[in-house]
Amino acid sequence: MDQSTIVCRCEEINIDEIETAIKMGAETFDDIKRLTRCGMGPCQAKVCMNLVRQLIYDYAGKPLSDIPPARLRMPLKVTRMETLASNDSPSSSSSVISVFNESASNQGGDIREK
Amino acid sequence: MQIINHPVLEDTVNDEITFHLDGKSFKAYKGQTVAAALMANDIKKFGHSRKLQKSRGLYCANGRCCNCFMTIDGLDHVLACMTLVEDNMRISLNNSDPDIRSDRDGN
Amino acid sequence: METDVLIIGGGPAGLNAAFEPASNGMNVTIIDESFSFGGQLRSQTQYFDHLPRPFNRERGTNLSRKLIDRLLPFDVDFLPQHTFVGKYKDGTIGVSHKNEVIPINAKKVIIATGAAEEAIMFPGWTLPGVMTIGAAQILMNRDRVMPGKDAIIVGSNEFAFDVVQQLKDVGANVHGIVESDSQMRLQNSQKIEAFKNLGIPLYVNASITEAQGKGKVEKVFLGRNGEKINLDVDLICIAGGLMSILEPFEIMDCKLVYNQALGGWIPEYDKHFETSNQSTYVAGNAAGITSIGGILTTGELTGVSVMASLGVLKSEEAAERKRDLWHQLYQIEGIQRPDTYHARLAAIKDFNTSKDRTLTK
Repeated sequence: MDQSTIVCRCEEINIDEIETAIKMGAETFDDIKRLTRCGMGPCQAKVCMNLVRQLIYDYAGKPLSDIPPARLRMPLKVTRMETLASNDSPSSSSSVISVFNESASNQGGDIREK
Repeated sequence: MQIINHPVLEDTVNDEITFHLDGKSFKAYKGQTVAAALMANDIKKFGHSRKLQKSRGLYCANGRCCNCFMTIDGLDHVLACMTLVEDNMRISLNNSDPDIRSDRDGN
Repeated sequence: METDVLIIGGGPAGLNAAFEPASNGMNVTIIDESFSFGGQLRSQTQYFDHLPRPFNRERGTNLSRKLIDRLLPFDVDFLPQHTFVGKYKDGTIGVSHKNEVIPINAKKVIIATGAAEEAIMFPGWTLPGVMTIGAAQILMNRDRVMPGKDAIIVGSNEFAFDVVQQLKDVGANVHGIVESDSQMRLQNSQKIEAFKNLGIPLYVNASITEAQGKGKVEKVFLGRNGEKINLDVDLICIAGGLMSILEPFEIMDCKLVYNQALGGWIPEYDKHFETSNQSTYVAGNAAGITSIGGILTTGELTGVSVMASLGVLKSEEAAERKRDLWHQLYQIEGIQRPDTYHARLAAIKDFNTSKDRTLTK
Protein backbone atom coordinates (compact mmCIF):
# COMPACT_ATOMS: atom_id res chain seq x y z
CA MET A 1 0.00 0.00 0.00
CA ASP A 2 1.01 3.60 -0.59
CA GLN A 3 3.37 4.55 2.26
CA SER A 4 1.65 7.91 2.65
CA THR A 5 -1.67 6.26 3.63
CA ILE A 6 -2.96 7.72 6.89
CA VAL A 7 -3.14 5.21 9.79
CA CYS A 8 -3.96 7.51 12.72
CA ARG A 9 -6.75 9.79 11.53
CA CYS A 10 -6.50 12.21 14.45
CA GLU A 11 -2.79 12.99 14.38
CA GLU A 12 -2.46 12.13 10.67
CA ILE A 13 0.38 9.66 11.03
CA ASN A 14 1.08 7.58 7.91
CA ILE A 15 2.38 4.06 7.27
CA ASP A 16 5.88 5.34 6.54
CA GLU A 17 6.13 7.05 9.92
CA ILE A 18 4.92 3.91 11.72
CA GLU A 19 7.39 1.71 9.84
CA THR A 20 10.22 4.11 10.65
CA ALA A 21 9.30 3.80 14.33
CA ILE A 22 9.34 -0.02 14.03
CA LYS A 23 12.79 0.20 12.40
CA MET A 24 13.92 2.25 15.38
CA GLY A 25 12.91 -0.63 17.65
CA ALA A 26 9.26 0.00 18.48
CA GLU A 27 7.55 -3.30 19.37
CA THR A 28 4.18 -2.26 20.81
CA PHE A 29 1.47 0.26 20.10
CA ASP A 30 2.62 2.36 23.05
CA ASP A 31 6.21 2.44 21.73
CA ILE A 32 4.93 3.79 18.43
CA LYS A 33 2.68 6.26 20.20
CA ARG A 34 5.60 7.69 22.14
CA LEU A 35 7.74 7.99 19.01
CA THR A 36 5.16 9.38 16.59
CA ARG A 37 2.10 10.78 18.45
CA CYS A 38 0.03 8.03 16.75
CA GLY A 39 -3.04 7.47 18.95
CA MET A 40 -2.60 10.69 20.96
CA GLY A 41 -5.39 12.69 19.32
CA PRO A 42 -8.98 13.11 20.47
CA CYS A 43 -10.03 9.50 19.77
CA GLN A 44 -7.16 8.13 21.89
CA ALA A 45 -6.25 5.16 19.65
CA LYS A 46 -9.81 3.87 19.41
CA VAL A 47 -9.68 3.68 15.61
CA CYS A 48 -6.01 3.03 14.79
CA MET A 49 -4.96 0.59 17.52
CA ASN A 50 -5.47 -2.62 15.58
CA LEU A 51 -4.24 -1.11 12.29
CA VAL A 52 -0.96 -0.36 14.05
CA ARG A 53 -0.82 -3.78 15.71
CA GLN A 54 -1.28 -5.33 12.27
CA LEU A 55 1.55 -3.17 10.84
CA ILE A 56 3.85 -4.37 13.65
CA TYR A 57 2.93 -7.94 12.74
CA ASP A 58 3.42 -7.34 8.99
CA TYR A 59 6.67 -5.48 9.37
CA ALA A 60 8.38 -7.14 12.36
CA GLY A 61 6.69 -10.55 12.24
CA LYS A 62 5.69 -10.38 15.88
CA PRO A 63 2.52 -12.47 16.49
CA LEU A 64 -0.62 -10.44 17.26
CA SER A 65 -1.02 -12.25 20.59
CA ASP A 66 2.31 -10.73 21.68
CA ILE A 67 1.37 -7.18 20.74
CA PRO A 68 -0.60 -5.72 23.66
CA PRO A 69 -3.40 -3.20 23.17
CA ALA A 70 -2.78 0.50 23.75
CA ARG A 71 -2.71 1.67 27.36
CA LEU A 72 -5.91 3.66 27.61
CA ARG A 73 -6.20 6.28 30.30
CA MET A 74 -8.72 8.42 32.10
CA PRO A 75 -10.73 10.35 31.16
CA LEU A 76 -11.98 7.76 28.68
CA LYS A 77 -13.92 10.16 26.49
CA VAL A 78 -13.60 13.79 25.48
CA THR A 79 -14.33 15.59 28.74
CA ARG A 80 -14.32 19.34 29.25
CA MET A 81 -12.01 20.85 31.85
CA GLU A 82 -14.96 22.65 33.41
CA THR A 83 -16.76 19.31 33.68
CA LEU A 84 -13.87 17.68 35.50
CA ALA A 85 -13.71 20.62 37.87
CA SER A 86 -17.48 20.76 38.37
CA ASN A 87 -18.11 18.67 41.45
CA ASP A 88 -17.64 20.68 44.63
CA SER A 89 -19.57 18.35 46.93
CA PRO A 90 -18.10 14.94 46.25
CA SER A 91 -19.99 12.02 47.78
CA SER A 92 -16.94 9.81 47.58
CA SER A 93 -13.72 10.05 49.54
CA SER A 94 -11.83 11.59 46.65
CA SER A 95 -12.91 14.67 44.78
CA VAL A 96 -13.64 14.69 41.10
CA ILE A 97 -10.97 17.19 40.33
CA SER A 98 -8.41 14.68 41.51
CA VAL A 99 -9.21 12.39 38.60
CA PHE A 100 -6.16 13.61 36.71
CA ASN A 101 -3.86 13.12 39.67
CA GLU A 102 -5.26 9.65 40.20
CA SER A 103 -4.81 8.71 36.60
CA ALA A 104 -1.19 9.79 36.84
CA SER A 105 -0.43 7.95 40.08
CA ASN A 106 -2.66 4.93 39.67
CA GLN A 107 -2.06 3.79 36.15
CA GLY A 108 1.67 3.47 35.91
CA GLY A 109 1.68 -0.30 36.11
CA ASP A 110 0.89 -2.71 33.33
CA ILE A 111 -2.15 -4.83 34.11
CA ARG A 112 -1.71 -7.19 31.22
CA GLU A 113 -0.46 -10.69 31.72
CA LYS A 114 2.97 -11.33 30.43
CA MET B 1 -31.36 12.94 1.48
CA GLN B 2 -34.15 12.25 3.92
CA ILE B 3 -35.79 8.80 3.78
CA ILE B 4 -39.50 9.64 3.78
CA ASN B 5 -41.07 6.23 3.24
CA HIS B 6 -38.86 3.78 5.03
CA PRO B 7 -39.22 0.25 3.58
CA VAL B 8 -39.35 -1.39 7.02
CA LEU B 9 -39.91 1.13 9.78
CA GLU B 10 -43.36 2.53 10.44
CA ASP B 11 -44.08 6.06 9.31
CA THR B 12 -43.65 8.34 12.25
CA VAL B 13 -43.78 12.00 11.40
CA ASN B 14 -41.51 13.90 13.72
CA ASP B 15 -41.62 17.67 14.04
CA GLU B 16 -39.67 19.56 11.44
CA ILE B 17 -37.14 21.95 12.89
CA THR B 18 -34.80 24.62 11.51
CA PHE B 19 -31.11 24.81 12.26
CA HIS B 20 -28.51 27.33 11.16
CA LEU B 21 -25.19 26.30 9.70
CA ASP B 22 -22.63 29.06 9.36
CA GLY B 23 -25.44 31.58 8.78
CA LYS B 24 -27.63 29.52 6.39
CA SER B 25 -30.87 27.83 7.46
CA PHE B 26 -31.69 24.17 6.90
CA LYS B 27 -34.55 21.83 7.79
CA ALA B 28 -34.24 18.62 9.77
CA TYR B 29 -36.45 16.39 11.90
CA LYS B 30 -36.55 16.13 15.66
CA GLY B 31 -34.86 12.95 16.85
CA GLN B 32 -32.04 13.16 14.31
CA THR B 33 -28.47 13.78 15.30
CA VAL B 34 -26.72 16.90 14.06
CA ALA B 35 -24.54 14.66 11.88
CA ALA B 36 -27.58 13.03 10.28
CA ALA B 37 -29.33 16.39 9.82
CA LEU B 38 -26.31 17.65 7.88
CA MET B 39 -26.11 14.49 5.75
CA ALA B 40 -29.85 14.82 5.02
CA ASN B 41 -29.06 18.25 3.57
CA ASP B 42 -26.21 16.80 1.50
CA ILE B 43 -23.54 18.38 3.68
CA LYS B 44 -20.94 15.65 3.99
CA LYS B 45 -17.85 17.67 4.77
CA PHE B 46 -17.91 18.38 8.50
CA GLY B 47 -14.59 20.18 8.67
CA HIS B 48 -10.95 19.58 7.98
CA SER B 49 -8.04 17.97 9.70
CA ARG B 50 -5.59 20.00 11.77
CA LYS B 51 -2.27 18.99 10.26
CA LEU B 52 -2.90 18.27 6.58
CA GLN B 53 -6.10 20.33 6.16
CA LYS B 54 -7.95 17.36 4.61
CA SER B 55 -11.74 17.13 4.42
CA ARG B 56 -13.44 15.10 7.14
CA GLY B 57 -16.95 13.75 7.56
CA LEU B 58 -18.97 11.22 9.51
CA TYR B 59 -16.97 8.03 10.07
CA CYS B 60 -18.09 5.90 13.05
CA ALA B 61 -21.40 7.55 14.08
CA ASN B 62 -20.79 6.16 17.56
CA GLY B 63 -18.91 8.90 19.37
CA ARG B 64 -15.57 7.15 19.12
CA CYS B 65 -13.62 8.54 16.16
CA CYS B 66 -14.15 12.27 16.87
CA ASN B 67 -14.17 13.08 13.14
CA CYS B 68 -17.50 14.89 13.49
CA PHE B 69 -16.33 17.56 15.92
CA MET B 70 -18.08 20.86 15.33
CA THR B 71 -19.11 24.00 17.18
CA ILE B 72 -22.69 23.81 18.41
CA ASP B 73 -24.40 26.76 20.12
CA GLY B 74 -21.03 28.27 20.90
CA LEU B 75 -19.44 25.15 22.36
CA ASP B 76 -16.39 23.91 20.45
CA HIS B 77 -15.52 20.28 19.72
CA VAL B 78 -18.97 18.76 20.17
CA LEU B 79 -19.56 15.29 18.73
CA ALA B 80 -22.20 15.89 16.04
CA CYS B 81 -23.01 12.16 15.83
CA MET B 82 -24.03 11.99 19.51
CA THR B 83 -25.93 15.28 19.71
CA LEU B 84 -29.59 15.60 18.78
CA VAL B 85 -30.42 18.51 16.51
CA GLU B 86 -32.73 21.14 18.04
CA ASP B 87 -34.83 23.98 16.69
CA ASN B 88 -32.75 27.12 16.11
CA MET B 89 -29.49 25.35 16.84
CA ARG B 90 -26.43 27.23 15.58
CA ILE B 91 -23.78 25.04 14.09
CA SER B 92 -20.36 25.83 12.61
CA LEU B 93 -18.19 23.26 10.90
CA ASN B 94 -14.80 22.40 12.34
CA ASN B 95 -12.63 24.37 9.94
CA SER B 96 -10.02 25.70 12.30
CA ASP B 97 -8.86 25.48 15.88
CA PRO B 98 -10.84 27.65 18.30
CA ASP B 99 -9.35 31.09 18.75
CA ILE B 100 -8.24 30.88 22.36
CA ARG B 101 -7.12 34.51 22.39
CA SER B 102 -10.54 35.86 21.46
CA ASP B 103 -12.43 38.21 23.75
CA ARG B 104 -15.54 36.13 24.05
CA ASP B 105 -14.72 34.75 27.49
CA GLY B 106 -13.87 38.19 28.75
CA ASN B 107 -10.12 37.66 28.58
CA MET C 1 -25.35 8.28 43.66
CA GLU C 2 -25.80 4.76 45.07
CA THR C 3 -27.07 1.68 43.25
CA ASP C 4 -27.06 -2.09 43.70
CA VAL C 5 -25.98 -2.85 40.14
CA LEU C 6 -24.44 -0.39 37.72
CA ILE C 7 -24.56 -1.46 34.09
CA ILE C 8 -22.27 0.41 31.73
CA GLY C 9 -23.74 0.21 28.23
CA GLY C 10 -27.45 0.05 27.37
CA GLY C 11 -27.33 -2.21 24.35
CA PRO C 12 -28.79 -5.73 24.18
CA ALA C 13 -26.28 -7.23 26.66
CA GLY C 14 -26.71 -4.50 29.26
CA LEU C 15 -30.50 -4.42 28.94
CA ASN C 16 -30.75 -8.18 29.28
CA ALA C 17 -28.28 -8.26 32.17
CA ALA C 18 -30.59 -5.83 33.99
CA PHE C 19 -33.70 -7.99 33.80
CA GLU C 20 -33.01 -10.66 36.44
CA PRO C 21 -31.63 -8.32 39.14
CA ALA C 22 -34.34 -5.73 38.46
CA SER C 23 -37.24 -8.19 38.41
CA ASN C 24 -35.98 -9.59 41.73
CA GLY C 25 -36.24 -6.25 43.44
CA MET C 26 -32.72 -4.89 43.08
CA ASN C 27 -32.03 -1.29 42.11
CA VAL C 28 -30.31 -1.25 38.72
CA THR C 29 -28.77 1.78 37.02
CA ILE C 30 -28.02 1.60 33.31
CA ILE C 31 -25.85 4.30 31.78
CA ASP C 32 -25.25 4.87 28.09
CA GLU C 33 -23.40 7.65 26.33
CA SER C 34 -26.07 7.80 23.62
CA PHE C 35 -29.32 9.75 23.90
CA SER C 36 -31.38 6.53 23.87
CA PHE C 37 -31.03 2.84 24.70
CA GLY C 38 -30.68 -0.25 22.54
CA GLY C 39 -27.22 0.27 21.06
CA GLN C 40 -26.76 -0.86 17.48
CA LEU C 41 -30.00 -2.90 17.75
CA ARG C 42 -31.89 0.39 17.33
CA SER C 43 -30.67 0.46 13.73
CA GLN C 44 -30.87 -3.25 12.91
CA THR C 45 -33.94 -3.85 10.77
CA GLN C 46 -32.79 -7.36 9.82
CA TYR C 47 -34.42 -10.37 11.46
CA PHE C 48 -32.52 -12.30 14.12
CA ASP C 49 -32.97 -16.02 14.75
CA HIS C 50 -31.70 -18.29 17.54
CA LEU C 51 -32.71 -15.99 20.38
CA PRO C 52 -32.91 -17.14 24.00
CA ARG C 53 -36.20 -17.41 25.92
CA PRO C 54 -38.56 -15.51 25.98
CA PHE C 55 -37.69 -14.00 22.60
CA ASN C 56 -38.60 -15.30 19.17
CA ARG C 57 -37.44 -14.44 15.66
CA GLU C 58 -37.59 -10.67 15.54
CA ARG C 59 -36.25 -7.58 13.81
CA GLY C 60 -33.47 -5.94 15.84
CA THR C 61 -35.43 -2.70 16.05
CA ASN C 62 -38.42 -4.48 17.67
CA LEU C 63 -36.21 -6.56 19.92
CA SER C 64 -34.55 -3.40 21.18
CA ARG C 65 -37.94 -1.96 22.16
CA LYS C 66 -38.98 -5.20 23.91
CA LEU C 67 -35.75 -5.35 25.92
CA ILE C 68 -36.40 -1.84 27.22
CA ASP C 69 -40.16 -2.27 27.76
CA ARG C 70 -39.82 -5.32 29.96
CA LEU C 71 -37.62 -3.38 32.38
CA LEU C 72 -40.07 -0.50 32.79
CA PRO C 73 -42.14 -2.00 35.68
CA PHE C 74 -39.02 -2.37 37.86
CA ASP C 75 -36.62 -0.19 39.81
CA VAL C 76 -34.33 0.63 36.88
CA ASP C 77 -32.76 4.05 36.38
CA PHE C 78 -32.07 4.68 32.72
CA LEU C 79 -29.42 7.37 32.40
CA PRO C 80 -28.88 8.37 28.76
CA GLN C 81 -26.01 10.70 27.77
CA HIS C 82 -24.08 9.45 30.78
CA THR C 83 -20.53 8.51 29.88
CA PHE C 84 -18.18 6.36 31.93
CA VAL C 85 -14.99 8.42 32.08
CA GLY C 86 -12.99 6.97 34.95
CA LYS C 87 -12.71 5.34 38.35
CA TYR C 88 -11.71 6.81 41.70
CA LYS C 89 -9.20 5.22 44.05
CA ASP C 90 -11.99 3.84 46.24
CA GLY C 91 -13.69 2.12 43.30
CA THR C 92 -16.39 4.75 42.76
CA ILE C 93 -17.27 5.09 39.08
CA GLY C 94 -16.97 8.54 37.47
CA VAL C 95 -19.69 9.30 34.96
CA SER C 96 -19.92 12.51 32.97
CA HIS C 97 -23.25 14.04 32.01
CA LYS C 98 -23.43 17.36 30.17
CA ASN C 99 -21.07 19.53 32.21
CA GLU C 100 -20.92 17.61 35.46
CA VAL C 101 -19.26 14.48 36.74
CA ILE C 102 -21.38 12.16 38.86
CA PRO C 103 -19.70 9.65 41.17
CA ILE C 104 -21.65 6.37 41.29
CA ASN C 105 -21.18 3.83 44.07
CA ALA C 106 -22.34 0.38 43.00
CA LYS C 107 -22.20 -2.97 44.78
CA LYS C 108 -21.44 -4.60 41.45
CA VAL C 109 -20.56 -3.22 38.03
CA ILE C 110 -21.45 -4.95 34.77
CA ILE C 111 -19.51 -3.74 31.74
CA ALA C 112 -21.60 -4.27 28.63
CA THR C 113 -19.98 -1.78 26.30
CA GLY C 114 -20.16 -4.11 23.31
CA ALA C 115 -17.96 -3.91 20.30
CA ALA C 116 -16.38 -1.32 18.04
CA GLU C 117 -15.92 -1.67 14.31
CA GLU C 118 -12.47 -2.53 12.99
CA ALA C 119 -11.03 -0.13 10.42
CA ILE C 120 -9.69 -1.02 6.98
CA MET C 121 -7.32 1.65 5.71
CA PHE C 122 -6.61 2.68 2.12
CA PRO C 123 -5.42 5.90 0.49
CA GLY C 124 -8.30 8.38 0.78
CA TRP C 125 -10.14 6.60 3.61
CA THR C 126 -10.32 9.86 5.57
CA LEU C 127 -12.58 11.50 2.93
CA PRO C 128 -16.19 12.35 3.83
CA GLY C 129 -18.39 9.59 2.42
CA VAL C 130 -16.10 6.85 3.74
CA MET C 131 -17.71 5.44 6.88
CA THR C 132 -18.12 2.21 8.78
CA ILE C 133 -20.91 -0.13 7.71
CA GLY C 134 -22.49 0.39 11.15
CA ALA C 135 -22.52 4.16 10.63
CA ALA C 136 -24.35 3.72 7.30
CA GLN C 137 -26.90 1.52 9.06
CA ILE C 138 -27.42 4.08 11.84
CA LEU C 139 -28.04 6.84 9.28
CA MET C 140 -30.57 4.76 7.32
CA ASN C 141 -32.51 3.05 10.07
CA ARG C 142 -32.19 5.19 13.16
CA ASP C 143 -32.00 8.69 11.70
CA ARG C 144 -33.72 7.93 8.36
CA VAL C 145 -31.14 9.61 6.17
CA MET C 146 -29.55 8.18 3.02
CA PRO C 147 -25.84 7.67 3.67
CA GLY C 148 -25.22 7.91 -0.11
CA LYS C 149 -26.66 6.97 -3.49
CA ASP C 150 -23.86 4.94 -5.04
CA ALA C 151 -22.08 2.66 -2.63
CA ILE C 152 -19.25 0.18 -2.50
CA ILE C 153 -18.55 -2.05 0.49
CA VAL C 154 -15.12 -3.21 1.70
CA GLY C 155 -15.37 -6.50 3.58
CA SER C 156 -17.81 -9.37 3.10
CA ASN C 157 -18.93 -10.43 6.58
CA GLU C 158 -22.57 -11.13 7.46
CA PHE C 159 -23.16 -7.64 8.84
CA ALA C 160 -22.01 -6.19 5.49
CA PHE C 161 -24.55 -8.29 3.60
CA ASP C 162 -27.38 -7.34 5.95
CA VAL C 163 -26.63 -3.66 5.38
CA VAL C 164 -26.22 -4.14 1.59
CA GLN C 165 -29.79 -5.45 1.52
CA GLN C 166 -30.96 -2.47 3.57
CA LEU C 167 -29.11 -0.01 1.31
CA LYS C 168 -30.85 -1.55 -1.71
CA ASP C 169 -34.20 -1.35 0.10
CA VAL C 170 -33.90 2.40 0.65
CA GLY C 171 -32.99 2.90 -3.01
CA ALA C 172 -29.19 3.14 -3.01
CA ASN C 173 -27.15 1.49 -5.77
CA VAL C 174 -24.57 -0.93 -4.44
CA HIS C 175 -21.81 -1.25 -7.04
CA GLY C 176 -19.86 -4.04 -5.44
CA ILE C 177 -18.40 -5.77 -2.43
CA VAL C 178 -14.61 -5.84 -2.22
CA GLU C 179 -12.94 -8.69 -0.33
CA SER C 180 -9.18 -9.09 0.10
CA ASP C 181 -9.55 -12.81 0.77
CA SER C 182 -10.10 -15.41 -1.98
CA GLN C 183 -13.71 -16.01 -0.95
CA MET C 184 -16.50 -14.16 0.79
CA ARG C 185 -16.55 -14.31 4.59
CA LEU C 186 -20.33 -14.69 4.78
CA GLN C 187 -21.21 -18.32 5.54
CA ASN C 188 -24.98 -18.28 5.97
CA SER C 189 -26.17 -20.15 2.87
CA GLN C 190 -29.60 -18.50 2.84
CA LYS C 191 -28.02 -15.06 2.87
CA ILE C 192 -25.52 -16.06 0.17
CA GLU C 193 -28.46 -17.13 -2.01
CA ALA C 194 -30.30 -13.87 -1.33
CA PHE C 195 -27.17 -11.90 -2.20
CA LYS C 196 -26.79 -13.71 -5.54
CA ASN C 197 -30.30 -12.59 -6.46
CA LEU C 198 -29.34 -8.95 -5.96
CA GLY C 199 -26.88 -9.13 -8.87
CA ILE C 200 -24.19 -7.14 -7.05
CA PRO C 201 -20.61 -7.88 -8.16
CA LEU C 202 -18.34 -9.49 -5.58
CA TYR C 203 -14.66 -8.66 -6.09
CA VAL C 204 -12.52 -11.24 -4.30
CA ASN C 205 -8.72 -11.04 -4.02
CA ALA C 206 -9.31 -7.34 -4.42
CA SER C 207 -8.73 -4.17 -2.46
CA ILE C 208 -9.33 -0.46 -2.73
CA THR C 209 -6.17 1.16 -4.06
CA GLU C 210 -7.51 4.68 -3.67
CA ALA C 211 -10.58 6.77 -2.95
CA GLN C 212 -10.62 10.21 -4.56
CA GLY C 213 -12.81 13.27 -4.54
CA LYS C 214 -12.95 16.96 -3.82
CA GLY C 215 -14.29 17.46 -0.31
CA LYS C 216 -16.05 14.07 -0.48
CA VAL C 217 -15.54 10.71 -2.10
CA GLU C 218 -16.42 10.69 -5.82
CA LYS C 219 -14.36 7.87 -7.28
CA VAL C 220 -12.92 4.60 -6.08
CA PHE C 221 -10.11 2.59 -7.66
CA LEU C 222 -10.00 -1.15 -7.08
CA GLY C 223 -7.09 -3.46 -7.71
CA ARG C 224 -7.60 -7.15 -8.45
CA ASN C 225 -4.62 -9.28 -9.50
CA GLY C 226 -3.01 -6.36 -11.30
CA GLU C 227 -6.28 -5.44 -12.99
CA LYS C 228 -7.59 -1.91 -12.26
CA ILE C 229 -11.28 -1.13 -11.90
CA ASN C 230 -12.65 2.34 -11.26
CA LEU C 231 -16.15 3.25 -10.17
CA ASP C 232 -18.07 6.46 -9.46
CA VAL C 233 -19.34 6.24 -5.88
CA ASP C 234 -20.33 8.66 -3.14
CA LEU C 235 -20.28 6.13 -0.30
CA ILE C 236 -17.64 3.63 0.79
CA CYS C 237 -18.63 1.43 3.72
CA ILE C 238 -15.91 -0.28 5.74
CA ALA C 239 -16.96 -3.68 7.07
CA GLY C 240 -13.84 -4.73 8.96
CA GLY C 241 -15.57 -6.84 11.60
CA LEU C 242 -15.84 -6.18 15.31
CA MET C 243 -13.52 -5.96 18.31
CA SER C 244 -14.46 -5.89 21.99
CA ILE C 245 -14.30 -2.41 23.50
CA LEU C 246 -11.44 -2.64 26.00
CA GLU C 247 -10.90 0.72 27.61
CA PRO C 248 -13.42 0.29 30.47
CA PHE C 249 -11.64 -2.93 31.53
CA GLU C 250 -8.27 -1.23 31.55
CA ILE C 251 -9.69 1.48 33.82
CA MET C 252 -11.26 -1.16 36.11
CA ASP C 253 -7.91 -2.99 36.33
CA CYS C 254 -9.29 -6.15 34.74
CA LYS C 255 -6.70 -8.44 33.21
CA LEU C 256 -6.85 -8.85 29.44
CA VAL C 257 -6.05 -11.87 27.32
CA TYR C 258 -5.63 -12.41 23.59
CA ASN C 259 -8.10 -14.77 21.96
CA GLN C 260 -8.31 -14.68 18.21
CA ALA C 261 -11.58 -16.61 17.90
CA LEU C 262 -13.29 -14.17 20.27
CA GLY C 263 -12.15 -11.13 18.29
CA GLY C 264 -8.67 -10.36 19.68
CA TRP C 265 -7.98 -8.84 23.11
CA ILE C 266 -10.78 -9.42 25.64
CA PRO C 267 -11.09 -9.23 29.43
CA GLU C 268 -10.44 -12.45 31.32
CA TYR C 269 -13.51 -13.85 33.07
CA ASP C 270 -14.74 -17.01 34.78
CA LYS C 271 -17.90 -19.07 34.19
CA HIS C 272 -19.90 -16.51 36.19
CA PHE C 273 -18.63 -13.76 33.85
CA GLU C 274 -16.74 -12.20 36.75
CA THR C 275 -13.50 -10.52 35.62
CA SER C 276 -10.21 -10.52 37.54
CA ASN C 277 -11.66 -7.57 39.47
CA GLN C 278 -14.27 -9.14 41.78
CA SER C 279 -16.62 -6.16 41.65
CA THR C 280 -16.71 -6.13 37.86
CA TYR C 281 -18.59 -8.43 35.50
CA VAL C 282 -18.77 -8.54 31.72
CA ALA C 283 -21.56 -9.38 29.26
CA GLY C 284 -22.20 -9.45 25.52
CA ASN C 285 -19.72 -8.58 22.79
CA ALA C 286 -17.39 -7.04 25.38
CA ALA C 287 -16.76 -10.64 26.52
CA GLY C 288 -15.85 -11.75 22.98
CA ILE C 289 -17.60 -11.23 19.65
CA THR C 290 -20.67 -13.43 19.28
CA SER C 291 -24.19 -13.54 17.79
CA ILE C 292 -27.17 -11.61 19.15
CA GLY C 293 -28.34 -14.84 20.82
CA GLY C 294 -24.96 -15.12 22.54
CA ILE C 295 -25.08 -11.47 23.56
CA LEU C 296 -28.49 -11.84 25.21
CA THR C 297 -27.66 -15.14 26.93
CA THR C 298 -24.35 -13.95 28.36
CA GLY C 299 -26.19 -10.84 29.56
CA GLU C 300 -28.71 -12.92 31.47
CA LEU C 301 -25.99 -15.15 32.89
CA THR C 302 -24.15 -12.11 34.19
CA GLY C 303 -27.34 -10.75 35.76
CA VAL C 304 -27.91 -14.05 37.60
CA SER C 305 -24.26 -14.17 38.73
CA VAL C 306 -24.45 -10.69 40.19
CA MET C 307 -27.62 -11.59 42.11
CA ALA C 308 -25.98 -14.74 43.43
CA SER C 309 -22.83 -12.93 44.53
CA LEU C 310 -24.91 -10.37 46.43
CA GLY C 311 -26.91 -13.13 48.14
CA VAL C 312 -30.22 -12.25 46.48
CA LEU C 313 -30.42 -15.75 45.04
CA LYS C 314 -29.84 -18.83 47.18
CA SER C 315 -26.72 -20.66 46.09
CA GLU C 316 -28.54 -23.85 44.97
CA GLU C 317 -31.06 -21.85 43.01
CA ALA C 318 -28.31 -19.75 41.45
CA ALA C 319 -26.34 -22.84 40.49
CA GLU C 320 -29.38 -24.31 38.79
CA ARG C 321 -30.21 -21.11 36.93
CA LYS C 322 -26.63 -20.83 35.69
CA ARG C 323 -26.56 -24.47 34.58
CA ASP C 324 -29.73 -23.86 32.63
CA LEU C 325 -28.35 -20.69 31.03
CA TRP C 326 -25.05 -22.34 30.12
CA HIS C 327 -27.07 -25.09 28.46
CA GLN C 328 -28.99 -22.43 26.57
CA LEU C 329 -25.72 -20.76 25.53
CA TYR C 330 -24.56 -24.13 24.22
CA GLN C 331 -27.78 -24.53 22.22
CA ILE C 332 -27.53 -21.04 20.74
CA GLU C 333 -23.87 -20.16 20.41
CA GLY C 334 -22.49 -23.69 20.55
CA ILE C 335 -24.48 -24.68 17.49
CA GLN C 336 -24.55 -21.41 15.57
CA ARG C 337 -20.96 -20.36 16.29
CA PRO C 338 -19.14 -23.46 17.62
CA ASP C 339 -15.69 -21.83 17.27
CA THR C 340 -16.79 -18.92 19.46
CA TYR C 341 -18.35 -21.20 22.05
CA HIS C 342 -15.33 -23.49 22.34
CA ALA C 343 -12.91 -20.55 22.42
CA ARG C 344 -14.99 -19.08 25.25
CA LEU C 345 -14.88 -22.34 27.23
CA ALA C 346 -11.12 -22.62 26.71
CA ALA C 347 -10.57 -19.00 27.78
CA ILE C 348 -12.60 -19.56 30.96
CA LYS C 349 -10.63 -22.73 31.73
CA ASP C 350 -7.31 -20.92 31.25
CA PHE C 351 -8.43 -18.12 33.53
CA ASN C 352 -9.48 -20.60 36.25
CA THR C 353 -6.13 -22.38 35.99
CA SER C 354 -4.26 -19.10 36.44
CA LYS C 355 -6.54 -18.14 39.36
CA ASP C 356 -5.91 -21.52 41.05
CA ARG C 357 -2.19 -21.00 40.60
CA THR C 358 -2.40 -17.61 42.26
CA LEU C 359 -4.40 -19.06 45.16
CA THR C 360 -1.98 -21.88 45.88
CA LYS C 361 1.08 -19.64 45.70
